[in-house]
Amino acid sequence: MDQYMILKDYVSSADAETALFYVIAILAISLSVGVISDRNIIRSGFILIGVFGAISGLFLMLQAQFLALAQVMIYAVGITLVVVIALMLTNPRSEREAVITEGDEFSQETGAVQFIQRLQQGTPAFVAVFSFFTIYLAIRSESWTPVTEKVSTDNVKVLGEALTTVYSLPFEFASVLLLAALIGAIMLAKAEKRQPAIESAED
Amino acid sequence: MQDQGFMKSTIGKDFLYGGLVFLTICAFLGFLSNPATRDVIINNYYDIGMFFGIVGLGLFFIGIGARTPGVIAGGAIGSFIVLTAPQDALVRYLSLSALLFGIGMYGMIKSRNAVRVLMSIELMLNAVNINLIAFSRFVDPVQVKGQLFAIFILTVAAAEAAVGLAIVLAVYRNMSTVDMNKFNLLKW
Repeated sequence: MDQYMILKDYVSSADAETALFYVIAILAISLSVGVISDRNIIRSGFILIGVFGAISGLFLMLQAQFLALAQVMIYAVGITLVVVIALMLTNPRSEREAVITEGDEFSQETGAVQFIQRLQQGTPAFVAVFSFFTIYLAIRSESWTPVTEKVSTDNVKVLGEALTTVYSLPFEFASVLLLAALIGAIMLAKAEKRQPAIESAED
Repeated sequence: MQDQGFMKSTIGKDFLYGGLVFLTICAFLGFLSNPATRDVIINNYYDIGMFFGIVGLGLFFIGIGARTPGVIAGGAIGSFIVLTAPQDALVRYLSLSALLFGIGMYGMIKSRNAVRVLMSIELMLNAVNINLIAFSRFVDPVQVKGQLFAIFILTVAAAEAAVGLAIVLAVYRNMSTVDMNKFNLLKW
């Protein structure tokens, strides 16, 4: 009971920002697991909107208001729309199998061969956990000295001035990159003309 | 399947794993809240030990037949809370970004559908954005340079999504599939 009272004090002494952070973080983590593991890929495309929304909430908590709204506009509306349209064009119903499938090609072999197959299937999980843990250890062992002052309230003005003065060259390059990507995407996705019709006409 | 009982069914194992992780978190927060045991935990790296415990328990539950997504979700949330509860705010944000990056990497390698691979890449780019904005909030709040880099990443992500999906469409037109295991165009 004593332990319970101490825990209750500890939880209630945590400020609202921490509580909100954990709520949004748990939402983002579970939704992103949903994105990579939902059997219906159209549904996972819509869950992606939820992930981007949660992350934009995190941006608001970090006092990056412009980026939070840009996140909603570009990711949650633009990119997800493009992804869903691409899903509809590629006919996902024909391959509805699970993403994370255990042993679809599990042969009937026993013993060492099956063990090696299991190891091969576990390799991505191992790589993901290992990289997360390495990054975490690197973050944790660094002694950060966070400044206590808040982000200035006119940070959008600071951003705009920096984009047009100091960072104007990268800004222009970004626009050229977008233009090139747009043209390239149109070139790639454009349906090719049927060449055999012309050849048969010549014959 | 019906007469096996709830705890032996697949979803029962998922819930069992989630309950065990929840108990672990509660015990950890309890020990952390007590000032006498808090120093012991932090000095002896008990949280890292608990992280490995959660991961090992997840492997065990997958071995006895729980579903992988449930175990990944429970293990990710549990290990995130255990690893970041004693830390300060910047480390929490950076750890969240590392965790989302790891989930995106796992999805990128494991997915069979090419569009889902692109979704996982978007997830990873978002994780990087969290990283940069957390730095701009806690390290450089006056000239918010991290947000500038995040804007450029946003641009590159939009370009990447457009080109990647166009490539997927072109490949689908040629091969009539978007299954990653059936692509052998680039094999040498």
